[in-house]
Amino acid sequence: MTTRARGAAAMALAAALACNQGLEPALAPTSCPHGFVGVCGTVSFVGQVPESTAKVFVVAFDTFPRSQNDLFKFKPQLDPTILPLGGPPFFYTLQLPPGHYEWVLAVWQKQGPTLNATNADTLLRETGFYRDRGDTTRHGSGIVIVNAGTSTDSIDFVVDFTNMHRVCDYFRPCP
Amino acid sequence: MTSSALLALLTALASAALRAQSAVVYGTVHVESGGPLRFAQVVVMGSNLGTLTDSGGHYRLAPVSPGVVIVRARFIGYVPAFDTVSVAAGDSVEASFVLHPSVIDGLPLVVVGPVVVTAAKRSQLLDQAVTSVAVVSDTELARRAVSTVDEAVDKAPGVQFLNGQVNIRGSTGYVQGLGSRVLLLVDGVPANQGDRGGINWDLVPLEDVQRVEVVKGAGSSLYGSSAFGGVVNVITRDISVGWHGRVRASGGAYANPPYDVWRFRDYTGGREGLDVTGSYGTNLVRGSLTAGGWHSDGYREQDRQNHWQAAAKGVWAPGPATRITASGSWASDQYEVPLVWCTRGACDDRGLTYQPFKIATQDTGTFTRSDKGYLTALVERTSSDHLAWQARGSWLRTRFTDLRQGADDYGIANRLGAELRAVSRPTAGRVVTVGAELARSDVRTNIFTGDTSSTDTVVGTHTQAEFAAYGESEQLFGRARLTGGARVDYIAVDGGGLSAVVSPRLGGVLTTSRGAWRASLGRGFRAPSLAERFVSTTVPPFRVIPNPNLRPETAWSGELGNATRLSAALHADAAAFWTEAYDLIEPSVNGSAIQFRNVTRARLAGLDVALAAQPPIRGLTASLAYTFLYARALASDSAPGGPLAFRPKHLLTLSADYQWRAVSVGGDFRYASRFERVELYSNDDRVAEKVLDLRASLEQGPLSVRCRLANALNYIYNQVPRTLAPVRTLSVTLTWTY
Repeated sequence: MTTRARGAAAMALAAALACNQGLEPALAPTSCPHGFVGVCGTVSFVGQVPESTAKVFVVAFDTFPRSQNDLFKFKPQLDPTILPLGGPPFFYTLQLPPGHYEWVLAVWQKQGPTLNATNADTLLRETGFYRDRGDTTRHGSGIVIVNAGTSTDSIDFVVDFTNMHRVCDYFRPCP
Repeated sequence: MTSSALLALLTALASAALRAQSAVVYGTVHVESGGPLRFAQVVVMGSNLGTLTDSGGHYRLAPVSPGVVIVRARFIGYVPAFDTVSVAAGDSVEASFVLHPSVIDGLPLVVVGPVVVTAAKRSQLLDQAVTSVAVVSDTELARRAVSTVDEAVDKAPGVQFLNGQVNIRGSTGYVQGLGSRVLLLVDGVPANQGDRGGINWDLVPLEDVQRVEVVKGAGSSLYGSSAFGGVVNVITRDISVGWHGRVRASGGAYANPPYDVWRFRDYTGGREGLDVTGSYGTNLVRGSLTAGGWHSDGYREQDRQNHWQAAAKGVWAPGPATRITASGSWASDQYEVPLVWCTRGACDDRGLTYQPFKIATQDTGTFTRSDKGYLTALVERTSSDHLAWQARGSWLRTRFTDLRQGADDYGIANRLGAELRAVSRPTAGRVVTVGAELARSDVRTNIFTGDTSSTDTVVGTHTQAEFAAYGESEQLFGRARLTGGARVDYIAVDGGGLSAVVSPRLGGVLTTSRGAWRASLGRGFRAPSLAERFVSTTVPPFRVIPNPNLRPETAWSGELGNATRLSAALHADAAAFWTEAYDLIEPSVNGSAIQFRNVTRARLAGLDVALAAQPPIRGLTASLAYTFLYARALASDSAPGGPLAFRPKHLLTLSADYQWRAVSVGGDFRYASRFERVELYSNDDRVAEKVLDLRASLEQGPLSVRCRLANALNYIYNQVPRTLAPVRTLSVTLTWTY
């Protein structure tokens, strides 16, 4: 191979490597993606979102919290799914490790200081959770199973901004 | 007698005294066949002293300042030759050269330079260094038309920047700027932050940078903590005699997102800046001052930045063997912080899974003010032709305030340092370097407090003291140079007990017909930063808790390398390297708490190859640099094994430049393979890095115009999770030099 040919080959290699596209727009899913492990479903919104809203997010507890100290034992710890602040029904995906989950819920967070255990009751509200149809108990029985390598679809629930509950509602008395 | 006449008389007397105490370097320049070479140029590098040979090939350089100087001989059509010469006051030293043709069999030879490096805390030729050193010269800095030091070093072989955090052979990975495993030196003075251990790459204006040396592999045997994976030494410009000035104006524009659905503003973002440098020098005193600033709209939402900087340097040479230098810089940045990009639901996502140019609505308004500066004073003296010593003191100060919704964090840190070093040449072929170093870091902060309560209103102060002594000896045995040395560091935190770390190193260079072989084995270590020990904050939903009991992380690092000319037009430098790391400090998640712990035992091994070619087209040069990296965390009782996060297995840089008269064009292509593993958001899409930079320049007398098109293909990618890497950016720099 001549020097010119080697140079041309190197340029062609560089061009070929460079032509490959980088990140591209990815449409939000409307059903559980193939290979996804976790839960998916549709959230519907009721009521006007409060002006003091910082964010609304979905998390799951593998056992229903027994005390305020259990409140931070939700999954996923790092990357809970953020919900839009109202609007049309929203298809969500929540990545979870395989297992048994007793409470899949939406949490409303108020604008304010950095969240910690002592101000959780002030800043957080339960604003909707998944329950089995026909269950009318206070917490509902909404057990969700996530099997290894698969996703669990149709974990649908309603986020009701007019009916949000403080943490202390579950661990009375409220101050 | 008027004061000006008195000054003139004193100046004349001082000059006469300088001449009386200076030295002479003399010799001959011959060609390979043995004949003398007339009109060859011989110069003392780094000075204005030069001459031409006579018809017998003889030359004489005087007055030469005593000390160690590099003498270069060159002639058109021949490869330049260099020699390191040690001269004492009043001495006469011979340095003769034989020049070799730069064209063999019709092909031009590749000339690799510059050749002087300071990796061993003293000047030495590049091919005498026992570890790999990459040099980014002022020519390359200018040619690349970059704005900051990190942009200039980013394309050096084996070096990769991740959102401002430098990696040499994969040393650091990415830890949000904390705890760099690379040590930054400014003219040999340590400049890592006193609190976080990270690096402010905008500390020194690029205008003032002469060259950057990147020392690869553990350098703790000379440099101590942080030189775990390598050392980056930024060397500022010498100040020339007479009046000089430089004005540099730049302007540029960022490309808009390549897809309409990603658009986030209705205008094109710009960037503009201005730097002015002035200097004046005589043989006795020299001084320079640089000031400037720039503004950037940024290439994504909430990414605007203002930067202001000033730097000054003064040199006083009271005697031919003594030089006193004082320098300092200050930089202030006010910038919006884009944090992480917007994911679905967190902003107006337009029906997409993520919006890489936008941020979450709740992060709006996050802002940082960062001020940093340093002062340093250096006394250098050549006591005799066998002994030179230097003493320095330094002060580095950083201050940051992070303004975000709900909480403001701040930290004010100081790092005071002092060093006394001597370089002795007791016999021919032997060089001994010894020294002692002190450093004291302190921080006053509301985030690195060590407080374990849940409140964030506590303000705390912490200190770390370091005491060190080191020594290294080099001996020439025929064609081999052997080096051995060690450094012992004592570290005390908050006035507590001292913990000691010993860092030895052995190395050698052997010159053969197959090039120069180098080998080294040494120990590296990094003391945990005050931030890693005492950080106490909340990163929702996590509480980050302190760990005052962190131990230094350590490593054994070795390499075997060879630099050789493969053909008349091809120069190669290759090195195999291996690092065994112990007690690496990593963030560890336990329930809702994050804590820095000594958790990881790791192995980083691989191969560095750098080729420089001069194809048979006049004016064309090309280079290739490739690094293969095997980076694995080894399994232990407390941590599983697997790939180390944020390390690419393959790192490739192709460069080419073509010069025709006053015009030059060129480009770099960088490929970094997709990270096998990242921390945080590991299920996000991620791609390899494939970035093409193009450049063009025109020089006409004192004016030059340089254009740079960074990321010319507007390749959209991220290195750090949910942080968009820079998009296509066009910049034009106009420089006037007096």
